[in-house]
Amino acid sequence: MADLLNTSISGLLAFQRALDVTSHNITNANTPGYSRQLPDFTTRSPQFIGGNWVGSGADVSAINRAYDNFLAGQSRSAASAYNQSNTYATQAARISNLFGDSTTGLSASMQKFVNSLQAVADSPNSIAARQTMLSEAQTLVDRLKSYDSSLRSLDSQVNASISTEADTISSLARGIAELNKQIASGYAQTGQAPNDLLDQRDRLIDELSTHVNVNVTKTDDNQLNVFIGNGQPLVVGDEPARVVATSDPYDPTRKRLAVQSSVGTIDITGSIAGGTLGGLLSFRTEMLDPARNTIGRMSVALADVMNEQHRAGMDLNGDMGGDFFSVGGVDVRAHANNTGTAGATVTRTDTGALTNSDYILTNTAGGWTVRRSDGTAATMTGTGTAGDPFLVDGLSIVISGTANVGDSLQIKPTSGAVSPMQVLINDPAEIAAAAPIVAQPTAGNRGNATISAGEVLNPTNPALRTAATITFTSATTYQISGDPTVYTYTPGADIDANGWRVEINGTPAAGDSFTVRDNSTGTGDNRNALLLAGLMSEPVLNNGTTSLSSAIGQFVGDVGVKTNQAQVTAAAQKVVAEEAEGAMQAVSGVNLDEEAANLLRFQQAYMAISQMIRVADSCFQSVLQATGG
Amino acid sequence: MRISTLGFSMGAISAMMTQQSALAKLQNQVALGQRVSTPADDPIAFVHIQELQRAQSESEQFAKNSTLAKNRLSLEEQAFVDTTNVMSRVRDLIVQAGNTATLSDVDRESIATELAARLDELQAIANRQDGNGEYLFSGYSTRTEPFSGGDGTPISYVGDQGARQLQISSTQRVADSHNGFEVFVDIPQGNGIFDTGVNMSNTGSGMIDIGSVVDRPSWVPDDYTITFTSPTAYEITDGATPANVVQTGTYTSGAAITFNGVSVTITGVPATGDTFEVNQSRNESIFDTIGAVVDLLNMPAGDSTANAKLTSTLRGSLQQMDQATDHFLGVRAQVGVRLATIDSVDSSREAMDIDLKSTLSDLRDLDYAEAIAQMNQQLVGLQAAQMSYSKISNLSLFNYLR
Repeated sequence: MADLLNTSISGLLAFQRALDVTSHNITNANTPGYSRQLPDFTTRSPQFIGGNWVGSGADVSAINRAYDNFLAGQSRSAASAYNQSNTYATQAARISNLFGDSTTGLSASMQKFVNSLQAVADSPNSIAARQTMLSEAQTLVDRLKSYDSSLRSLDSQVNASISTEADTISSLARGIAELNKQIASGYAQTGQAPNDLLDQRDRLIDELSTHVNVNVTKTDDNQLNVFIGNGQPLVVGDEPARVVATSDPYDPTRKRLAVQSSVGTIDITGSIAGGTLGGLLSFRTEMLDPARNTIGRMSVALADVMNEQHRAGMDLNGDMGGDFFSVGGVDVRAHANNTGTAGATVTRTDTGALTNSDYILTNTAGGWTVRRSDGTAATMTGTGTAGDPFLVDGLSIVISGTANVGDSLQIKPTSGAVSPMQVLINDPAEIAAAAPIVAQPTAGNRGNATISAGEVLNPTNPALRTAATITFTSATTYQISGDPTVYTYTPGADIDANGWRVEINGTPAAGDSFTVRDNSTGTGDNRNALLLAGLMSEPVLNNGTTSLSSAIGQFVGDVGVKTNQAQVTAAAQKVVAEEAEGAMQAVSGVNLDEEAANLLRFQQAYMAISQMIRVADSCFQSVLQATGG
Repeated sequence: MRISTLGFSMGAISAMMTQQSALAKLQNQVALGQRVSTPADDPIAFVHIQELQRAQSESEQFAKNSTLAKNRLSLEEQAFVDTTNVMSRVRDLIVQAGNTATLSDVDRESIATELAARLDELQAIANRQDGNGEYLFSGYSTRTEPFSGGDGTPISYVGDQGARQLQISSTQRVADSHNGFEVFVDIPQGNGIFDTGVNMSNTGSGMIDIGSVVDRPSWVPDDYTITFTSPTAYEITDGATPANVVQTGTYTSGAAITFNGVSVTITGVPATGDTFEVNQSRNESIFDTIGAVVDLLNMPAGDSTANAKLTSTLRGSLQQMDQATDHFLGVRAQVGVRLATIDSVDSSREAMDIDLKSTLSDLRDLDYAEAIAQMNQQLVGLQAAQMSYSKISNLSLFNYLR
C-alpha cells in the first residue's frame, strides 16, 4: 500500500509541476520572446518486488522550452534585412518628398527663371521685367539652398542616429554578456536549462539583429559569442565590447563606427551590414552624399554657364556684364592623423568634367595618388605645383606645405558650393541683356551682301567694342580695319576679329563695307538675354552630354527609382521577416487552446491520482479494520 | 501547423495594418486627385510629369512672347497704313507740281509748303513710339529717336540696323520690328539699276527721261556722265579718274541714247557743256526724296531752262515715289508674313498645349472610378479581416471550461 501511496504522490507532484508549467505558459502567452515550455514526464525507476519489476510512478525530469535555433537564426537575419531596407526606405522617402512638389520643385523654379529671362528678352528696357528676373534668380538660389540645407539637416540627423545606434548596441551587448554569465552559472549549479534566462538572452540578440547584422556562436558552457561587421567580437562570454560613434578623420562632424574592446579600437563603418544601422549607413553613402554633391554640381554648372554668358553681354548702362551668381569653393580637408603640413588649393576648371565623387589624395613613396570616394582610381596629370597643377575630373589641384608618406587630403568638389551661393546682380540695370557689339552694312553699299548681327567670342578683348570696318577691296576679297591682311571672301564663313565673330552672306560689290561697332545705345537689344535663356537646355554637364534641365530630371528620377526600389524591397523583406517570425512562433509560441487542453488533461490526471490516494487510504483502512477491529 | 495565439494575433494585426496603409494611400490619392505625388510613387511618370509641367510653363511664356510680337508688328503695320496715305498725297502733289505750264512760282511754293508738312508727318510716323516709349524703327537703340533733323535740315537715320528677335517656340524666333534703315532709307534709286539726273547748272533746256534697261547683262555699274560737247554732239564718260569715254554720238532730240545695256532719252535743246547723269542705283531715303522736291519747288522757275530741270527732276522724283511705295509694300508684306508665322506657331502651340494637358492628366491625375472601386475592395477586405479576427479570437477552449 505504501507503494501505491508513493506512486500516487509522485504523480501528484509531477502533475502539479505540469500544471505550473501550463500556468506559466498561459501567463506568458503574450510575452514577446517567450518560448513555451514543456514538462518532460518520465517513469520512475521500477522496483523489483516479489519477483516482478513494479512501476513506482512518474517524474517531471526536465522542463524544456520549444525553441529551434535554425528558425531563430533565419528570423534574425530576416529581421536584420527588413530593418535595413525599412530604414533606408524611410530615409529615402524624405529625400523623395523633398523633391516631390512638382509645382515648386527645382525644375519649375528653373523654368520660371528661364521664362523671366525670356520676359527680359521681350522688353529689354523694362525695369519691371528685369526686376522679376532678379527675383526669380533669387528664388532659384533659395530653392537650391533649401534643398541643400534640408539634405544637410538629414545628414546631421543620420549622424545623431548613428550615435544613438552605437549606444543601443553597446547596452544590448552588456545585457547579453550579463545573461551569458547568469546562464553559465545556472547550468553549472543545476545541470538544468534556465529557460527564461535563455529566452531573455535570445530576445536581446533578436533586438540586436534589428540594429545590425550579427553572427552568433555557442560555447561549451552554453554562453553565446556575438560578432558584428567582419567578425569583430561584440560579446565574448561575459565580456561585452563597446560600439562607439567616432569622428571621420577628414570631417569631425561626420560620424563613423568603431568597436572598442580590450584589444583596441577597430573601425567597422565599411563592414556594417543589416539592421537600422546598416540602413542608415547605406542611405548616407548611396543617396544622401550623391544628392548633396549633385545639387552642388548643378549649382556650380548653373553659376558657371550663366556667368560666362552674362560677362559676354552688355547691360542697360552700356557696361559689360559681370558675374551673375557666386558659389562656394572646393572643400579640402586634411586627415586628422597627417604628420606633414600639406594642404591643397583646388579650383574647378571644367564644369563639364566634374563628377559627383569626392576624392582622396594620398601621398605615397611614389608621390601623390588619387582615388574617388567609391574607391575607383582616377587619372591625374600634372605635378601639383602652381605652374603645373594636378588635373583630375575638371579640378585643378595645387599642393602646398610638405607632406609625409601616408598623409592624405580629402577633396569635396561641389558639396560646399550651394550654401554660400548668391545672386551677385542687385541693380536690374546691370543685367546684360544686350550684346556689346552691333554689325551692320554701311549705307550706300551696292552689293546685296548681308552681315549677321555678330556674337562675342572673347568678352575681355580690349578692342572688342572698338569700331571696326570690313571693307571689300573687290567682290571676293576684304580687309578689316587695323589689319593689312587681305582675306578671301567665302559667303557664310566666320569672320573673327577683336574678340567678335560675324558672318557675311550674299554678293558684295567692290567698295562695300560693313561696320562692327559698340552697341552702347542698343538698350533694346536682347541678343544676350536670348542666349542666357537658352543656356538651361545647352548640354554643359557630363562632358557636354547633359543639359541642366535634363540633369534635374535625371536626378529626381534617380531619387525616385532608388526610393521606390527601397520601398519595394522593404515590403518584400517585411513579408520574409514576418514569415520567419511566424515559423518561429509556430514552434515556440503559446497556443491557448493547447494550454487549455493541457490544463484539462493535467487536472484530470491530478484528480484521478487523488482518487488513487483515496483508494490507497480505503485499502489501508480495510486492512486496519480486518486486523484491529 | 501549430498556430501560436500571439502569432495569430500578430499576423492578423499585420495584415490589417497592410490593408490600412493601402487605404491611407488611396485616401491620400483621392483627396489630392493625383496618382503620383512624390518621385517614389512612380519615378518614370514623375520625371515625365515634371518635364510636361516644364513644357507647359515654357509654352505659356512663348504665348506671351508671341502676343507681344504680334502687338508690336501690328503697331508697325499701322505705321505702314499711315505711311501709305501720306505717300499717296505726296505723289498727288508732285504730279500737280509737274504741271509747269500753268503753275506760277507762288503756286509751286504753296505746294512745297504742303509737301514740307507731309514730310514732317512722315518723320513723325518714322519716329513713332510704342506704349513703353520705345521707338518702333530705331533697331536695338530703342531709346534713341531714329530720325533726327527735319524742319529744313536733312533728316538722317541715327538708329542702328538691329532687329530684335522674340522666341515664339523652342525652335522659332521672329523679329518684332524693322529698323528705320531698312524701311525708310534703304530704298533703291531710280529703277533699281540706274538713276538719271540733270545738272542744276545746265544752261540749255534739255530734259532727260527716267530711262530703261534694254540689256541687263551688258550693264556695267558705274556713274556715267553725258556731256554735250556741242548742241548736237555728246560723249558719255564713266566715273573713273581720269574718266574714260564710253561712247560718243550725235544728238537728236527724242532719240534714245543707248549704251552699256541702258537707254535714256534726252529732249529739248541742250547747250554746250550741259551734263546729264546716269548713275548706278544706290539707296535713297524717302525723306531725302521728298526734301529734294520741296527744295526744288521753292526755287523760282518759269523759263525754259528752269522748267526743263524741274520736269526732269520731278520725273525722277515720281519714279522714286513709286519705288518707295513698292518698297513699303514689300516691307509690309514681310510684316504680314511674320504675323502669319506667329499665327501658325500659335495654333500649333495651342494644339500642343491640349496634348500636354491631356498627357499630363493621364500620367498624374487619378482615375477616380478606378480608385474608388479599389478603395471599396480594400474596405471590404479590411472589414472582413476585422470581423474574422474578432470572431476567431473569441473562439477559445477556455470559454467551455466551467
